[in-house]
Amino acid sequence: MISFSPSEDQKLMLDSVAQLAKATLRPRIREFEAARGLPEDVRKAAHEMGLGLVAIPSEVGGAGLGLTTAVILEEEIAWGDPGAAYGFAGPGAFGRAVVELGSKEQATQYLEPFTQPDAFGRFGAVAWGEPKAGTDRGGLCTLAKAAAGGGWVLDGEKAYVINADRADRLVVFAQVDPDAGWSGIGAFVVRRDAPGVEILPRSTTLGLDVASFGGLKLTQVRVGAEARLDGGVSDASAGPQTFNDALVRFFAKEALLVAARAVGLSRAAFEVTREYCDTRVAFGKAIGHFQAVAFTLADRAMDVEASRALVWRAASLWDSGAPAGKALRASASAISHALEAAMRCGDDAVQLHGGAGFMRDYPVEKFMRDAKQLQLCAMTAEQADQLAAAVELDRPLDPGLVLPSAETQNAFV
Amino acid sequence: MPIEFTLSKRQQETRDAVHSLAESVIRPQSLQWDRDHGVPVDFLRRLAMLAASMGSLSTAAEAMTTERKGSDTSSINRNTLIGAEEMAWGDAGLLLCLPGPGLGAPPVRATGTPEQKERFFGIFKDMTEELRWGAYALTEPGAGSDVASIRTSCRKDGTHWVLNGRKCYITNGARASWNVVFATVDPTLGRAGQRAFVVEKGTEGFSVGKIEDKMGLRSSETAELVFEDCRVPAANLLGGEEAYHTKEGFMTAMKTFDNTRPIVAAMAIGIGRAAYEYARDFVKANYVMTRPIPRYAAIAERLARVVRQLDAARMLAWRAAWLADEQQPNAKEASMSKALAGQAAIRACIESIEICGAEGTIAKDHQLLEKWFRDIKVYDIFEGTGQIQRIVISKRLLTNLKSF
Repeated sequence: MISFSPSEDQKLMLDSVAQLAKATLRPRIREFEAARGLPEDVRKAAHEMGLGLVAIPSEVGGAGLGLTTAVILEEEIAWGDPGAAYGFAGPGAFGRAVVELGSKEQATQYLEPFTQPDAFGRFGAVAWGEPKAGTDRGGLCTLAKAAAGGGWVLDGEKAYVINADRADRLVVFAQVDPDAGWSGIGAFVVRRDAPGVEILPRSTTLGLDVASFGGLKLTQVRVGAEARLDGGVSDASAGPQTFNDALVRFFAKEALLVAARAVGLSRAAFEVTREYCDTRVAFGKAIGHFQAVAFTLADRAMDVEASRALVWRAASLWDSGAPAGKALRASASAISHALEAAMRCGDDAVQLHGGAGFMRDYPVEKFMRDAKQLQLCAMTAEQADQLAAAVELDRPLDPGLVLPSAETQNAFV
Repeated sequence: MPIEFTLSKRQQETRDAVHSLAESVIRPQSLQWDRDHGVPVDFLRRLAMLAASMGSLSTAAEAMTTERKGSDTSSINRNTLIGAEEMAWGDAGLLLCLPGPGLGAPPVRATGTPEQKERFFGIFKDMTEELRWGAYALTEPGAGSDVASIRTSCRKDGTHWVLNGRKCYITNGARASWNVVFATVDPTLGRAGQRAFVVEKGTEGFSVGKIEDKMGLRSSETAELVFEDCRVPAANLLGGEEAYHTKEGFMTAMKTFDNTRPIVAAMAIGIGRAAYEYARDFVKANYVMTRPIPRYAAIAERLARVVRQLDAARMLAWRAAWLADEQQPNAKEASMSKALAGQAAIRACIESIEICGAEGTIAKDHQLLEKWFRDIKVYDIFEGTGQIQRIVISKRLLTNLKSF
């Protein structure tokens, strides 16, 4: 039955996260930006609330609350500060990658450092993107070669890696079979302190600078055979599937969380702007009382509501075990709609503030910059559209089209 | 009930049943009805007999007419939406022709006295012998979006009210057993002066003017209604005289829209989806797609944009209906769903024609894109234009915004 009511448990968690967003994140948003990271007291508060482990299944040490709960909370956190989710410590995308791509044993093992009592302060990261295409074949340039005596040797350079310099552990994607193009990719868990891993300096970015956007160089990095995540291909009980099936699922869910942050950003930008239009007087009345302004606000309010409902629907389809095609299609709609809506909300927020919107006295210029940055995290709207079309047209999911790639656009993970 | 977006078993069955009817029986005749330009009464009669033989028409009439129980398990608004989308996917014009109280139901249900409900809804309980319609007459030549400025007058004369004026664009108004007609005791009073009457067919002084020739929805009948010293019994003043000591009269008109806008949104989505699916299948059948050629990526993106806008509109419609079922205020959300659905569905029809090229503009029994393109436009106009929806929404967003 169609219902838009969060459960009692979800409401309780939402209340406490909303409190954190309202009392701590929003008032200090400029402080975080200047510091280019979240201070320890804020990270500690998030850690104590268990925000890093919400959607991680309980059998591998997470809270097991599902994706629907996760998107509700992500929206609220992003309402406070769209970048905050990337600045909290925790397994983050790393955790979700080992859950989606690894076996239960691997997930338990690699998540353990994040579920222990001394876990506070640990970051994980995912290294997917690369600085350039560099080849005329499909796939990644970073190579993984079977090492003599077992295990793998990784060589190459990764870019657009969120929290590369903060992470203890990373999931690194590399080409195992160069002749197989996008079907020849493998995923490996790499420790940051492994010999041959060099963390590159972080970049200064347009938005979300609370996160650290960086990269790494891998020179003859050796990992054991057990460090390869095979996407459940070897797990007979999961049914026949390819590594790419799991990879697309991972990216779609990751991008759905980004979409939830986009909803929070849209709502924040909308609310601040609504307030401004209510109080700013021009030509003798509140500017919101002019139709051109009021209709713009109405359109953005529709953007917020529609994005949220699409994100909830996609998350609840994943949680209820709907067929992957259906959940992927719903996710694609949610991702592209929410990302584009966030850009419209950020843009109109600055526009309706007029000159004031350009000043850093108001948060809206930050929302606008963050919106563009969010559009380049995990999956772009264009890639999500290609994903939706692939499902709709019964085409095989071509990772060259639906995944962040050098041929299409790079995106941060 | 936690957050959930799967249909109940009963809703799935309803959707599947309506879909198969729409696909195998309604669609194939859709273009012919459009060309015949009139309500396909014979078909409706056969449909009514079939439905009556299965007991479902009376059930449907009862669901429309009996008062909603206060129970929060009621899902009538959501159920209606799901059926409406599928039916409109088949033929939106036919959906508007379906017998029953139609748009006249919400105001009678919301403000009618028990006696009035019994009298006006009672005639729909058995339609095996004769099909019957109800209708809703608000719009006038000089009052469209600005419904507060209607000029049709009413004055009390003993046991009757005397109505004078004209109503236009009234769906099923010509064939309706009764019309809910809005009139004013004094135009200078604005909303406070308005009264709603149930005017029965054959009432002295009531006649049908011209039947409109429209761009689309041509199987649906749109009429002008004329009131010349039309004498309506006082017992037909909706809700009785006391109901009008406040602004209730106008509020009756507006309440109707809160309930019906999400349904209209669902109908628009049904048409948009029909066009989209045709274009999608056309692309599948006509393009070489062994590899991701740039042309394919551009077409794919257009299709994806269309389908996600329809998805977004459907979510807003479901949300507005869910709020109504939960007995929560939903005026803003209802307007949002209608505004977005009208826009998304028109976009869907335009894009679908463009994707199919010249083929998309040619009318054939199995190729209805040009018909859907004509049918859809009015969905961003009737029941409140897209601009009116934005006025409704922004009044609920901004403080002290009474009018522009």
